[in-house]
Amino acid sequence: MEPIIEVKNLVKTFDSRGKKITAVNDVSFTVFKGEIFGMIGPNGAGKSTTFSMLTTLTKPTSGNIKVSGLDVGKQDDRIRPIIGIVPQKLSLYPLLTARENLKFMGKLYNIPKKVMEERIDYYLRLVGLEDSADRFTEGFSGGMKQRLSVICAVMHDPQILFWDEPSTGLDPQTRQAIWKLARKFNEDGKTLIFTTHYMEEAENICDRVAVMNLGKMVALDNPEVLKETSGSLNLEQVFMHFTGEGVCN
Amino acid sequence: MTIKTELIDSLAVAEKEFKILSRRKGVIIPLLLFPLVMMIFFGYGMGGTLKDAPFLIVNSDTGQASSSLIQEVGSYTPKYDSYPMFSVTYSKDMSQSEAESKINAGVYKGALIIPPDFSDNIAKNQSTTLTLLTDSSDITASENIINTIKQLLTTTGLLKITGLVSLNVPNIYGNLEYLDFLTPGIIALTIFFGSVMTTGAAIAEEKESGTLVRMLMTPISKRSVILGKTFYQLILELAKAVILILVAYFLVGFRINGSWLLVALVLVLFTLGGVGVGIILSAKAESMESFDQLAMLVTMPSMFLTGVFFPLSSAPVWMQCLARCVPLTYAIDAMRTIMVKGQNLNAISTDLIILTLFAIVTFTLGVHLFRREA
Repeated sequence: MEPIIEVKNLVKTFDSRGKKITAVNDVSFTVFKGEIFGMIGPNGAGKSTTFSMLTTLTKPTSGNIKVSGLDVGKQDDRIRPIIGIVPQKLSLYPLLTARENLKFMGKLYNIPKKVMEERIDYYLRLVGLEDSADRFTEGFSGGMKQRLSVICAVMHDPQILFWDEPSTGLDPQTRQAIWKLARKFNEDGKTLIFTTHYMEEAENICDRVAVMNLGKMVALDNPEVLKETSGSLNLEQVFMHFTGEGVCN
Repeated sequence: MTIKTELIDSLAVAEKEFKILSRRKGVIIPLLLFPLVMMIFFGYGMGGTLKDAPFLIVNSDTGQASSSLIQEVGSYTPKYDSYPMFSVTYSKDMSQSEAESKINAGVYKGALIIPPDFSDNIAKNQSTTLTLLTDSSDITASENIINTIKQLLTTTGLLKITGLVSLNVPNIYGNLEYLDFLTPGIIALTIFFGSVMTTGAAIAEEKESGTLVRMLMTPISKRSVILGKTFYQLILELAKAVILILVAYFLVGFRINGSWLLVALVLVLFTLGGVGVGIILSAKAESMESFDQLAMLVTMPSMFLTGVFFPLSSAPVWMQCLARCVPLTYAIDAMRTIMVKGQNLNAISTDLIILTLFAIVTFTLGVHLFRREA
């Protein structure tokens, strides 16, 4: 299997009111091309910080990240065009229409006009928003916004798709639609990496799952193997097994 | 990343800003109404007293009559004040045009020119004329000076008793009203508020909603994002200035005496500085709310400290010193010098240097503080 993301000894510390906080503590792992890779862990485990560093948004304190053979921190300009990010916040412009939101993203990626028009129509149809294409997004339901936010991230046809908490706060129908979309992107050859709180989803869709706790990666394997090694019935128990039952502050 | 792609990227950002603005009807109206309301409310009836106003006396006469007049002017103290009204500089043999140019340069608030044969003429019972020049772009100071000099001529008995002395008050800049004084100041103030508030608020809002992070995840450089927002702001502020000038024209027949291009230059420089301040503030603010607080802290003192509504010359010295630390003061000065006095580049060179520095410093700092990091 061909590695597409290689992380070595990744560390990130923050200064918070004079106190040093280690958000990510010596994490190393590899993501392979074409896989669906899930990251689970309690709030504050370091998932989002790791995500920020993988997507060139935050500079690591130390350690190395290679994305598709390119060095994060040195070749960010070449990495950004090949990755797509669905942020946790919906991050749409409420006073632009769905089509205008997509167009703006397309322009930032310098997609040729004709290709862009075709892609916008294709993706709007794919997520069932073709009838709302020319409405301002401020009137969209949460599910519609989520679907639009996803296709904003794939306008430039990225090789790797980062997806932060894709299904938090969504109704079951939208969640199903989102996961269907994720599988579709994966079949199209994209590598998917996401964070989630929903254990059953991670269990159903991910090829491999990484469990993070207190800034460390405490386990990484196929969901089945994780269940076996921890002697658990489901991923929720795996999660509790590795991260403890206390609520993290 | 070539300059061309950066420019194209920044135009995409600017276009998006305009699209959003065009749909915010609730924002456009107050945007234009705010300066108009100020002009109308403050435009009528605002006074002030003068203290230590720099005043030039050109006296080519050596007789008795002129020396007693000079003494009166130099020691004159207004009724409710303990300071003399004028700080007088004496000169001989200066031409009227030379004195005028000193006023244009802002060295003096006014000048009294006494002709060489003044005392002689009075002694011989012949008529004679004094010339009083004032900086009428500073309307309150100017009226104050004219009234005071007339009053002094009366008390020294020169104007009334002999009936021989007349006072010639040439209007250097034409007939001016308070609105002529106010308009350049209001424009500068509006531009300052506009550029700081709108830029900063737009960035703070995008930060809060997450769209900024999303934008920065794409290959676009942060320079392009800032440039795009600046283009938008420049066009918006210049358009606002044009509207204000037109309104003032139709309201009181306000005319720009100097060059339009210089006005535009001052506005562009000042907008850049304001945008820089907005970026710095938004970089420091975590949310819209904290941005609003910070922005108030910066813009409010500027509004009341600088001579937007009243001439700085009538403010206490400590206030004048504080005003000298605020960039808005220089923008207002430059605007009045061009728009009302009709002066050229030389007259505003100091203002321009300070405004350029202001723009460079805030803009560089803004770009530096504006982080890609989420």
